[in-house]
Amino acid sequence: MDDRSQQPPDGPRIGADEWVARQGEHRRQNELTRRLGRAGERIHPAFRFFALVAGIAIFGIATSDQYYQRVGFNTLYYAALALGLNVVVGWAGLLDLGYVAFFGLGAYAYALLDSPKFHHHWPALATMVVVGFGCAIVGILVSLPSRRLFGDYLAIITLFFGQIFYNLVGNLSLTNGQNGMTNLDPLNFFGFHITTVRQYFYVALILFTVVTCVLWLVNNSRTGRAWRSLREDQMAAQLLGMPVNWLKLLAFAFGASVAGLSGTVFASLEVNIFPNNFYLSVLITLYAIVILGGAGSMPGVMLGAFTIIVGLEVLATPDNARLLFYAVIAAGLVLWLRPWFWVPIVIGGTVAFGFVVSAIATAAWPDATKPTSFGGQNLTMSSWVVELTNPTRGGAYAYGALIAAVLGVTLLKGWVQKVALIPVLYLAAFAWENELALNPSVTAEILLGALLITLMIVRPTGLLGQHRVEIV
Amino acid sequence: MNWDEFVQLTVIGLTDGCLFALIALGFSIVYGILKLLNFAQGDVFMIGAFIGYFVLTGFGGPDAPDMPVPLLLVLMFLFAMVGCGLLGVVIERFAYRPLRNAPRIAPLISALGVSFFLQNSALLVFGGDRFYGSAELDSGLYRFPQYGLQWGPLQISILRMLTVGLTLVLCLALTLLVAKTQIGKAMRATAVDREAATMMGINTDRVIAFAFFVGSAVSGAAGVMFGLMFDNITNTIGFENGLLAFTAAVIGGIGSIPGAMLGGVVVGLAQSYTTGYLPSGATFQDVWVFSLLIIVLLVRPTGLLGKADIRKV
Amino acid sequence: MTALLELSGVTLHFGGLKVISELDLVVSENEIVSLIGPNGAGKTTVFNLITGVYDPEEGDIRLDGRSLVGVVAHKRTKLGVSRTFQTLRLFLNLTVEENVMAATYCHTRSHVWQSILRTPFQRREERDVRALADDKLAFFGDRLAGYRRRQPAYSLSYANRRRLEIARATATKPRLLLLDEPAAGMNPVETHEITELIGRLRDEGGYTILVIEHDMHVVEGISDRVVALDHGVKIAEGSFETVATNERVVEAYLGLRATEEDAAR
Repeated sequence: MDDRSQQPPDGPRIGADEWVARQGEHRRQNELTRRLGRAGERIHPAFRFFALVAGIAIFGIATSDQYYQRVGFNTLYYAALALGLNVVVGWAGLLDLGYVAFFGLGAYAYALLDSPKFHHHWPALATMVVVGFGCAIVGILVSLPSRRLFGDYLAIITLFFGQIFYNLVGNLSLTNGQNGMTNLDPLNFFGFHITTVRQYFYVALILFTVVTCVLWLVNNSRTGRAWRSLREDQMAAQLLGMPVNWLKLLAFAFGASVAGLSGTVFASLEVNIFPNNFYLSVLITLYAIVILGGAGSMPGVMLGAFTIIVGLEVLATPDNARLLFYAVIAAGLVLWLRPWFWVPIVIGGTVAFGFVVSAIATAAWPDATKPTSFGGQNLTMSSWVVELTNPTRGGAYAYGALIAAVLGVTLLKGWVQKVALIPVLYLAAFAWENELALNPSVTAEILLGALLITLMIVRPTGLLGQHRVEIV
Repeated sequence: MNWDEFVQLTVIGLTDGCLFALIALGFSIVYGILKLLNFAQGDVFMIGAFIGYFVLTGFGGPDAPDMPVPLLLVLMFLFAMVGCGLLGVVIERFAYRPLRNAPRIAPLISALGVSFFLQNSALLVFGGDRFYGSAELDSGLYRFPQYGLQWGPLQISILRMLTVGLTLVLCLALTLLVAKTQIGKAMRATAVDREAATMMGINTDRVIAFAFFVGSAVSGAAGVMFGLMFDNITNTIGFENGLLAFTAAVIGGIGSIPGAMLGGVVVGLAQSYTTGYLPSGATFQDVWVFSLLIIVLLVRPTGLLGKADIRKV
Repeated sequence: MTALLELSGVTLHFGGLKVISELDLVVSENEIVSLIGPNGAGKTTVFNLITGVYDPEEGDIRLDGRSLVGVVAHKRTKLGVSRTFQTLRLFLNLTVEENVMAATYCHTRSHVWQSILRTPFQRREERDVRALADDKLAFFGDRLAGYRRRQPAYSLSYANRRRLEIARATATKPRLLLLDEPAAGMNPVETHEITELIGRLRDEGGYTILVIEHDMHVVEGISDRVVALDHGVKIAEGSFETVATNERVVEAYLGLRATEEDAAR
């Protein structure tokens, strides 16, 4: 019989009232995060957000290292970009694969309006207004043909649009083709020129704050409800009075606008922009951010941006990348291996295995292998990982073998799987040192791709996304 | 009207179109069975091109092959098709199968990840600078004595004839496979209603894996052809050509094998004519093809030869 | 009583199959009409025609005298047509409240910029929307009350989901309410509740209701009139007693009555 109690239950209760649809219940929050979450929820979202902004602002003052300021800037404009993508993908549920083109549109628009190319030097606000509305209109135009089509076709059309944009700016003389546009003006707000990286950091912070506020306000109104309804069940939404086509256009317009504005700020700091700045790699990064953070959740997207942009920065230098690599593996083992006694077994086993293999390898093939130098770091490692004198071929095979090994391990079960981890982990370290670490930028891209795949399979709601139920 | 030019452009368009048709074929087969846009299809094509290259250089290379050229070609195709077929099966098994019952957007994003992963893995392992676009570096790679055919205004190289011939053979083989064989019937059943097919005793996992094998093998063959025709292969050819192949599949009617062929030819010809006849046609090539896609989708959303999707509301 | 909904000569084909055949149907204001017939008779198709999922090939559909043919679906809702679905189509990941509030879209008018700036007009509308949602949910008494309103819709039991769907449908401020098998899958107690509920909807809410139902107890309990459909053709119309005993209706559900000659063989 139906329960008439007016008190909320403390947790999921099994009874007449709880009937969760079958598809995918993976609630793995532990006690601590749940308590933190509850505590956090009691504070009004506005206060939480402004506390965050204040924290970031303080960071901007506290650090005087231009590098950190630049990373902060990157995180902020990527967060703004991702929030825009979140409107389209997370709220309206539309797969927009050409989103990066709007980012590029904003950047190139700024380049045309504020550079020596045509001798225009518009004030920043004017450019931003033009970019904001212009991109919105282009966004609407791009999504117009897809009104009557299924989500799949929308993906193709938007992907194509992104490709066209890339090809056009790479070939037209208007945009200097592959040579890019150079010497873009610093942002000019009523005569005040934004020149230092720290100042740009604050501009990005303002952009991020404004975007978040506007989007939050829109989401908590009838438009946001309609978007989320449309994501749930497009036909039901339509039949309940929501103009689905118009809503899709609106979502695209918002996303495009946000992307364009981010592009303007980005272009201004970069000073020189090239077609490659607005291509597939950025798109994948953005999707990784949105999915990792949790599509549909603004705090999630922010967290995702921070994690990935900082992560990519760390991966850019081989030494830091190495630390991150081992740290992530260790963390992964700790988080995933149960019962607990497996953790020291696997880690210890890998270490021992490594020393043994290394000793054998350096003895048997003294020419092919050499004691590692590791850029001057930890000398103990030098007798653990085998470093090849000529890593090109061996490294390539190691990488191939690693992929096969990792896929194979996922097929095993039980203690066999855990024991098999030992050689696989060593192989991973071997492949890392001899192949992946040598090409950090490509490795970063590979990891992003792998991250997307893994996320969709293991945790599609990301870090902070809400647990979703879908009837398929 | 310059007939020679027209004929030449048509020939180029048709043969280029065959490449798109083959990738589109793989794409269509997968979509037909799983309703999944396999973004990685183009990258499988790219891997096929590389496999062909390595077989070629492994057996002496274009200048001093260890065996008669036709035999070498057969081996290249064989290795590429089998290798790509297996790659396709692996991709399906690990990146798509866990998402069989997830909402539509999940395997699409996973496919995107796979595509990116493959592109960059190829870059990492094969090295981008080895095939860096410049003609001097690469003209030696796929150079074969190109015996041409001259018949009136027609001028077709042997490689182009090979391409068209192989494409027709593969298309025919695939059509027969789907229409006449037991496994083809199983594929069609799985495409219509997967759950019902399982209940009828069809091992849908195996059928889907087979579909991926076939579709990827065909794309792999296209990769070798690409290398033979265009010399220069790099890790991004998959994405670019893949996109055009998707367009071809959609124009022709997604899920339809003859549709993929038709769509490929249409896209190939469109590219060829716009490059040849329109001023700065090459720059705006993509725009024309895109416009064509939009027009077809607006006028006939299921494509030229596609079937309407009946859904119960 | 004036006719609120009028279908005249409506015909529809799906490919080669004639699903609706010259259908005439009139529903007067404040009436409760039940649409019955065996599976595949075309009842949900009639709903789809009225709400705009399909347009009739021949014939006309009029709401309060105004033709609905060619009018896009979401505009029809604004004109006063609302429905529930045979297979529930709730917005599962939205809260119970949000499901109902979302349906108020068609009669709210705030633009996006007004939402961003939180103008007094928009804030007032939001308050009204929330009050309306409260009101519609309160119609179901304790069932959808209290903490349950902020729970995601997927946490509701089956019967509560059906109720939420009805609440959501009423939030569009309809004049005509189309209920597609509202008692499907319910036990006798819940079925009895639904029967009372539909009556209350008409009496308290003033809605005109067209119901598709298989459960004859419900049909008997609520209907002013019953219309029977088979293979897209109207085969009987009238009071429940008239239709339930009509030979063609019995034949459609149960098959031909065996004659004495057949029995002798």
